[in-house]
Amino acid sequence: MAEYVTFTVNGIERTVAAQPARFLLDVLRDELHLTGAKRGCDNGTCGTCVVVLDGRAVKSCNVPVEKLDGTTVLTVEGLSDGKTLHPIQQALIEAGAVQCGFCIPGIAMELYALFEEELDATEDRIRRALNRHLCRCTGYEAIWEGALLAQERMRELEIRS
Amino acid sequence: MEFKYIGKSLTRPDAVRKVTGKAIFLDDIYLPGMLHASILRPPIAHARIVEIDTRAAQREPGVVKVVTGADCDVRYGDNIKDLRPMAKDKVRHIGEPVAAVIADTPQHAEAAMQKIEVTYQPLPVYTDARDAMADDAVLIHEQNGEYWTLPTLNPIAGTNIANYYHLTKGRAEAGFEEADVIVEGEFLYPFGSCAALEPHGSIVWFKEDNTIEVWSTSICPFIIREDLAHAYGIPVADVRVHIPELGGCFGYKSDITVEQTIAYIANFVPGHPVKWVASRQEDFTSTLIGHGIRTRMKLGARHDGTFVALKTKVYHATGAYADTGVNVTIGATHNSTGPYEFPHCDLEGYCVYTNTPPVGAFRGYGHQETQFAIERLIDILARKLGASPLEVREKNYLTAGKVNALGERMWESNGDVVQCAQKVERAIFAHQKPKEDDTYYYGRGFAALMKSPKGAPFSTKGCYIKLNIDGSASINMGGAEVGQGLRTVVQQIAAEALQIPPQKIRVYPEIDTQYCPYEWQTIGSMFTIQGGRAIIRAANKVIHTLKQTAAQVLRCDVDMLDYDGEHVYLRSDPAVRVPITRLVRGYMYENGMTIGELAHSVSDARLPRYSDPDPETGQGNMGVTYTFGAQACELRIEKKTGKIIIDHFASSFDVGKVINPQQIRGQVVGGVLMAIGATLYEKLDFDAEGRLRNPQYFQYHIPTLKDIPGKQTVEFVETPSAIGPFGARGLGEHPVIGVAPAILNAIYDAVGIDYYDIPITPERLKQDVQVRKFASLQVRKSASVQSDAADEGAA
Repeated sequence: MAEYVTFTVNGIERTVAAQPARFLLDVLRDELHLTGAKRGCDNGTCGTCVVVLDGRAVKSCNVPVEKLDGTTVLTVEGLSDGKTLHPIQQALIEAGAVQCGFCIPGIAMELYALFEEELDATEDRIRRALNRHLCRCTGYEAIWEGALLAQERMRELEIRS
Repeated sequence: MEFKYIGKSLTRPDAVRKVTGKAIFLDDIYLPGMLHASILRPPIAHARIVEIDTRAAQREPGVVKVVTGADCDVRYGDNIKDLRPMAKDKVRHIGEPVAAVIADTPQHAEAAMQKIEVTYQPLPVYTDARDAMADDAVLIHEQNGEYWTLPTLNPIAGTNIANYYHLTKGRAEAGFEEADVIVEGEFLYPFGSCAALEPHGSIVWFKEDNTIEVWSTSICPFIIREDLAHAYGIPVADVRVHIPELGGCFGYKSDITVEQTIAYIANFVPGHPVKWVASRQEDFTSTLIGHGIRTRMKLGARHDGTFVALKTKVYHATGAYADTGVNVTIGATHNSTGPYEFPHCDLEGYCVYTNTPPVGAFRGYGHQETQFAIERLIDILARKLGASPLEVREKNYLTAGKVNALGERMWESNGDVVQCAQKVERAIFAHQKPKEDDTYYYGRGFAALMKSPKGAPFSTKGCYIKLNIDGSASINMGGAEVGQGLRTVVQQIAAEALQIPPQKIRVYPEIDTQYCPYEWQTIGSMFTIQGGRAIIRAANKVIHTLKQTAAQVLRCDVDMLDYDGEHVYLRSDPAVRVPITRLVRGYMYENGMTIGELAHSVSDARLPRYSDPDPETGQGNMGVTYTFGAQACELRIEKKTGKIIIDHFASSFDVGKVINPQQIRGQVVGGVLMAIGATLYEKLDFDAEGRLRNPQYFQYHIPTLKDIPGKQTVEFVETPSAIGPFGARGLGEHPVIGVAPAILNAIYDAVGIDYYDIPITPERLKQDVQVRKFASLQVRKSASVQSDAADEGAA
């Protein structure tokens, strides 16, 4: 096992110690101080820690550090460009999907991975992706509408470009 | 009245920082020199602590200090001072803090915590209120009756009854003499968890200058400030409490929960901030849980369906400490009438110590728990009378001129439950229900509801307004945004009151007791009502200040001046005017001379004429303002599995005035789903030893996207309130109240089974339907045997 792993987070190369029993979420939050991914449970159930790892939405609390070498990670902090929101973020806001805001970074990253992979994802596939996330505030209605709106916006952008 | 900014779906001012992951929650805070705490919890729910051996833990890497409660002399509580920050001689529930490790990292702290060895001497465990009330029950608090309590409380010394509340109206139980029909039942609303996605946590820092600085996941920073100042003997002004972004609350981040414990631990390492964040398991066992209410109810009515008398006995398993649960019991008791008038009431509430984690608010103070009982019982009564359950209700609603159990008279301005009922009736009952088929049973059910705030004598909310040099406004309040959309409401009400566009209104994003005006606590669906009123009062003051300065400039009387958000002008000649940008710091003449005052103001509001209960009758102005509503649903039960599918859920509330249509729908839709969870599967499952069997999200299931109703109808009635801002009423906790009874009434409608408790899981329902089928077969069989016998007799 390598003592250190080097991987890319939001476009910046990072090298961190590969200690045992340490996970991507620990590195992001405690070491890189990227606190957009949240810790809502102890065992990969709630989805608040979801980030995008090599194009896939993963629960970062379940990804051991030693598996990170050479990978590319995108967290919610890297989703917008610092000035303009990503269409997914804009859509979630407009749909009223943001209440307490604790689940929303994970949901935004889940949708990003999904629509980047398959912009024409079926409703069934979107539903399955969102089912990996818990939200205690919204009753999911606005999250669902936000997801569909995000898909529509991203399609429009693709047609235009 | 025409509104410019009220009634529109403005975007929440905090949405961008939340969706970009930049909102700072408690666990996102890292302070220089910060240490971490891990807390040991007992393996048994009721025991004497014989010995705690910390030697092995002390030797673990990174350990700074190991802490026990052996020398703890702090007692706290705002209603009953029965709480300790750490167990001293005894543990009373499985989530209780027994010892703690302070270390350099959370991992080191936790590893060392596992090495602490404790010897316990077990005591009998009570998880049910009535067991704990038995004559021979061991006392969970030997000191019950000796603790300081609010003067309105009534603990019964020598028992486990932490408080007894008795409310009578009319002839009380004697009123049943006037009844033609009586129905009775016993109902149970089991323990549940608010289970917000963000767990509880605190950072406490005792400083060298003898001050304390705190960050916490709480909605009552001012209570924490006062409690800590009192516990550590320093001025209240020397405790500073910050509330970061809050990831949901639903009740269990109200009152003081974990803060005294973390302060007690941090006090052992002065100079270092100490952080503790609950694991999900601790969030379930070591903060506050909800409900645990058993309701024995008897309802008397006349043949025509008019209600005569109600008798309620609330047995509340309030948990190991009653400070936070006692108001839940009282609320459950006086709200057990539901939105109906009873000439005679005899309502008793027993708040009982049990060996379970303490109960606190959970989207209401006992409202959903006992209104579950009354709404089920009314359906049962209607069947007995052979009447329509909706018509029976309509005869008895608390409409204008009626008097509730507390003795409060209802006026038109209290809202219109009849219209709410009609709206959901149209949504759910206007069409024929589908006939039973091979796959499904179909049912429909209804429930009406009411809820007042949970007030207190000084339930004050303050507001500070500062007008800026460009005509923008800064609003500073101490109300906690937990996701409900409080900041948007503040922005919209301030915009309306100041007639300044919301884009120019900045709501302060953080709560800090050093800078925020006082706020009692953001509970009980009362921020919009009182906070909104505080904003209007502060706005009127600041407008008056502008006018006073302008009166000097324009050389006229103040009462000749009007204000439109941009100018102060002469009513008789609007061309004579001063822009407010030239008035906010006072006015400056061309030669640099200045007159007038800074345009800022502070004001507050509380519930008008709120009063404590009368010691004799239990009555009093404890509600002050009410929001009425009605809910109904249409469901299917899958025959093969017993699975309940909610096809359509409808809710209607008389909110007086909708401030933000998008947010209010979100509040209702989310509340309904939360209560669907409670009705169909959520339950904290304590074994007989008081151990929690399901302290994780994968065991305690909360609803996911796949569980949402096929459709939710949400409609509002807008009868202006005489109290709230622009006629608005509270709507936070209300959407959960009628859900369980509406679903259970629909289950009866579908399969003819009366349930008296929740949750109704598919396994349970499937089995009960089978048993019922079998029983009805038996009945039919025996009926046919009898008729055969009769035939023979005739022959």
